[in-house]
Amino acid sequence: MEAPFVSTHRFPWVLLVAGVICLAAGSWLGLFVVPAEHYMGDVQRIMYVHVPTAWTWMVVVLFSLGSAISFLFMNDLKWDTRMEAGLEIGSLLAFLLCCQGAIWAKPTWGVWWDWDPRLTSTAVLLFAFLGILALRKFVDDPTRRAIWSAVATIIASIDLPIVYFSVKWWNSLHQQQSSPETVASTFHLPLRLNAIGILLVVIALLALRSRVAGYRLREQLAEPPSFITSEPTGELA
Amino acid sequence: MNGIVVGGWEFVWAAYALTAIALLAYGVMVITRSREGRRRADAGPDRG
Repeated sequence: MEAPFVSTHRFPWVLLVAGVICLAAGSWLGLFVVPAEHYMGDVQRIMYVHVPTAWTWMVVVLFSLGSAISFLFMNDLKWDTRMEAGLEIGSLLAFLLCCQGAIWAKPTWGVWWDWDPRLTSTAVLLFAFLGILALRKFVDDPTRRAIWSAVATIIASIDLPIVYFSVKWWNSLHQQQSSPETVASTFHLPLRLNAIGILLVVIALLALRSRVAGYRLREQLAEPPSFITSEPTGELA
Repeated sequence: MNGIVVGGWEFVWAAYALTAIALLAYGVMVITRSREGRRRADAGPDRG
């Protein structure tokens, strides 16, 4: 039986396998094949996992923002399940980003953490997303929960351009954005393979996590409260 | 000091291991919850 709010396509599994293969190949190249960078030495190999995590995290934040806006415009709770997935996976990626950055910072900057604009704005968005996820736990009514968290997600996402442009706007300790245009061509292949790999894995996780949220929402709506008079079809009354 | 970082493989392994463990653990958790949700949905709305 197809549950409302829940897509049961098999594509997440295909993406997951393809993503893991890309990540394995990219990491193998990054760790063992391409040469070390001249100044940072082997420590620079952290770039092949840190930069793709950062790119994918920004995509996930945009996905959460898009889901929040789509919910407010369309009143369809399936967008709330997607937003919930984006918030959770966005938090995970932001946490990983901060940890990878700290691990890279220690041997190159001499400190684990610095209140640099890029690091601080990323941490702010991490805690904002965690706060929205906590807020969702305290609201039982699915419609109110969706509206509040959509508005909060839109407000939190204002931080994303600050994260992106912080290294241009301020004299930041963090280096400029790494991209195929700013790194040597020798480093392109592992960087691109890991970027594609993490992106595919994260898309698969977003789809699966949206299903989890959809199943839970369906159970919550199985005994509809008084303000819901029709069957849960995915459209709000 | 010459401005060149020497060594540091332990930091590289730490970053890769942390990423792999976090993604793997989260993936297993999501897949488990997805299958559990599917099983409950297949059981029908009257499962109690």
